Amino acid sequence: MKHNNMLAMILAGGRGSRLHDLTNKVAKPAVSYGGKYRIVDFPLSNCANSGIDVVGVLTQYESVLLNSYVAAGQRWGLDAKDSGVFVLPPREKADSDLDVYRGTADAISQNIDFIDTYEPEYLLILSGDHIYKMNYDKMLEHHKANNADATIAVIEVPMKEASRFGIMNTDENGMIVEFEEKPANPKSNLASMGIYIFSWKILRKMLLADMKNADSSHDFGKDIIPALLNDGKRLCAFKFKGYWKDVGTIDSLWEANMDLLNKNNELDLNDPSWKIYTEDVTTLPHYIGEHADIKNAFITQGCVINGEIKNSVLFTSVKVAEGAKVIDSVLMPGAEVEEGAVVIRALIANNVKIGKNAVVGSADSEHIELVAKRVKGDE
Amino acid sequence: MKALGIVNFSGHHIYVNGLEDYRPIGAFSFLGRYRAIDFPISNLSNSGIERIQVYINKKPRSLAEHLGTGRHYNINSKRGRLHLLFSENGTENSLYDTDISAYMENMECIEAESAPYVVIAPSYMIYTQDFREVLKTHAESGADISLLYHSVDNARESFLNCDLLNLNKQKGVQSIEKNRGTAKNRNVFMDTYVMKRELFIDLVKKARKLSSMFTLPQIVNALCEELDIRGISHRGYFATVTDLKSYYDANLSLIDYKDAQTLFKEDWPIYTRTNDSCPTQYFNGSDVKKSVVSNGCLIGGIVENSVIGRGCTIKDGAIVKNCVILPDTVIGKDVHIENQVVDKHARVLHVKELIGNPQQPGYIKRNDIV
Repeated sequence: MKHNNMLAMILAGGRGSRLHDLTNKVAKPAVSYGGKYRIVDFPLSNCANSGIDVVGVLTQYESVLLNSYVAAGQRWGLDAKDSGVFVLPPREKADSDLDVYRGTADAISQNIDFIDTYEPEYLLILSGDHIYKMNYDKMLEHHKANNADATIAVIEVPMKEASRFGIMNTDENGMIVEFEEKPANPKSNLASMGIYIFSWKILRKMLLADMKNADSSHDFGKDIIPALLNDGKRLCAFKFKGYWKDVGTIDSLWEANMDLLNKNNELDLNDPSWKIYTEDVTTLPHYIGEHADIKNAFITQGCVINGEIKNSVLFTSVKVAEGAKVIDSVLMPGAEVEEGAVVIRALIANNVKIGKNAVVGSADSEHIELVAKRVKGDE
Repeated sequence: MKALGIVNFSGHHIYVNGLEDYRPIGAFSFLGRYRAIDFPISNLSNSGIERIQVYINKKPRSLAEHLGTGRHYNINSKRGRLHLLFSENGTENSLYDTDISAYMENMECIEAESAPYVVIAPSYMIYTQDFREVLKTHAESGADISLLYHSVDNARESFLNCDLLNLNKQKGVQSIEKNRGTAKNRNVFMDTYVMKRELFIDLVKKARKLSSMFTLPQIVNALCEELDIRGISHRGYFATVTDLKSYYDANLSLIDYKDAQTLFKEDWPIYTRTNDSCPTQYFNGSDVKKSVVSNGCLIGGIVENSVIGRGCTIKDGAIVKNCVILPDTVIGKDVHIENQVVDKHARVLHVKELIGNPQQPGYIKRNDIV
């Protein structure tokens, strides 16, 4: 089925180095989230649900797992005849040498040939590492209705935090008059979400010029958006309301998981009209034993629970033995907590075992403890 | 040894009250996230049998929907095939509506296959079995037909709708008879056959000539003296779904993780169709013990010794004990139910207490509001 004439490109090359050991072997978009998902499932599912057929995923850092993961487009229903997910790492070309992506804009510039084969009217640029649900088709309607050359999704942030973001200053019609990257004295609280719709012809011209500009850092926020404003192009802000999170640190990744425990959390992963699709794993449903005590938790298939779980998110196939306690914690896929062990305010990485009677994390720590290596317990 | 897989429907002597009004047994929800038919198809797929025919004789919707193209069963989409075959001439529960008539109707599809053997397995029995081993035993024995059976010590009160194998000391099958509950130690026939495809085709045609109502077990029984028919014993978990009680019991028998491991093995995945449900959320009022819970549920109440299907809501103050709750149902605030099978999309809201008898579990209809 033909949908809108918009092609999406997901920037998924970043490492996310503040996630420490979690991104040693996988790029940040491939990090697990919410019990059964990977972060990149969100932009991909949003694309599928918004009627976008073709999605390019730009990968660079530790991309082996991410490349094969996103290439299986049927997970998101992106496998119809006119549809597909294309993995786009940097490549050698007949007329240019192999070069890394030097910035977000350069990643798109190096794939102009790919985009041209689809002759899209509009290009949607997304981040592969944000957690949110958004209908990009609505954003495209806004773009068209405002006769814009570029539309930037913005979200209201608390004024006192605005200096941490790229801030859009708009006129009374919602048109962007000024863009300030992390301003010391912000004039508005509309933060850029790093989600852009461009009319492709205009962006294409801009990218070709940017490639030749030796002074450019080839970044959308720093170079392309200011250049478009300088050129007098029509830039429009699209206000987004709802849950949106860029999980940059262990603390914020933990917090984003904890947000799911609120009874009326805004992300609402249970909404049948906007499902988030992910890899299908072959496991049993989760098993709750006779000694289990579960209060306020998010638990997924494959888990085997016989201990106490309070305020925690348990990912696929986590095991918690009898007498163990898991409190205010996030346990990534395959993590195991043996008998009598205690986990408090911690994030346990994939497949890590917490040995018998061991204690990790603490109730009054300032930061969440990341446990990425096996913790030995009583033998 | 190449074999064609055939997944059969249940004969007209089997009817599961309530549940079967809406779908064939193969499409029954099992242990929350599975359907009964996932077991035979996964067994075939895991045994390297990639050409599988599924016979459907009535109410095809939910089964056809669940099976789809079969790609979730790990079958190579080019070399393999999950083939849905419908038998259309029999009216429902008619004595003419037999497996033999379904095979006759689709004979050209059976003849067009090339594998030298067939493995026939039922869609209404729950077990895991590596059919490569069965095929090997069969070929080495030189038998014409091998039948899989499970020795039980409770045939007097259970497996009453099943067939039994009478075996001699060399495991030769002397006859196949109905279980009339006359003895406790019996060999329950698992309605699973291995034979040469050519012989299978002959049997089907011969059965049709002899009687228009013949079934496959009846023709095999009739040929016990003529052919070399042997039993192969199955070990491990075995359950049948032949009435509401056996369906209920089979589900509850897998609630303990250790018991479940006699059916589910690390190296023997059971595949099913994903529904993309999110994880299950437990609220502060929840108290869940000894239960199997699927994804997409919202749980605020007490759940004990139960199987909870995908996408169910158990409201605050609700008590669910010894129940099999099918997907997308709602158990309302302060509702207390015990020993019930609650069918899909049902909502138990107004009746505040429904306590059944574990020997005769209650049944709440699909889509019902009670």
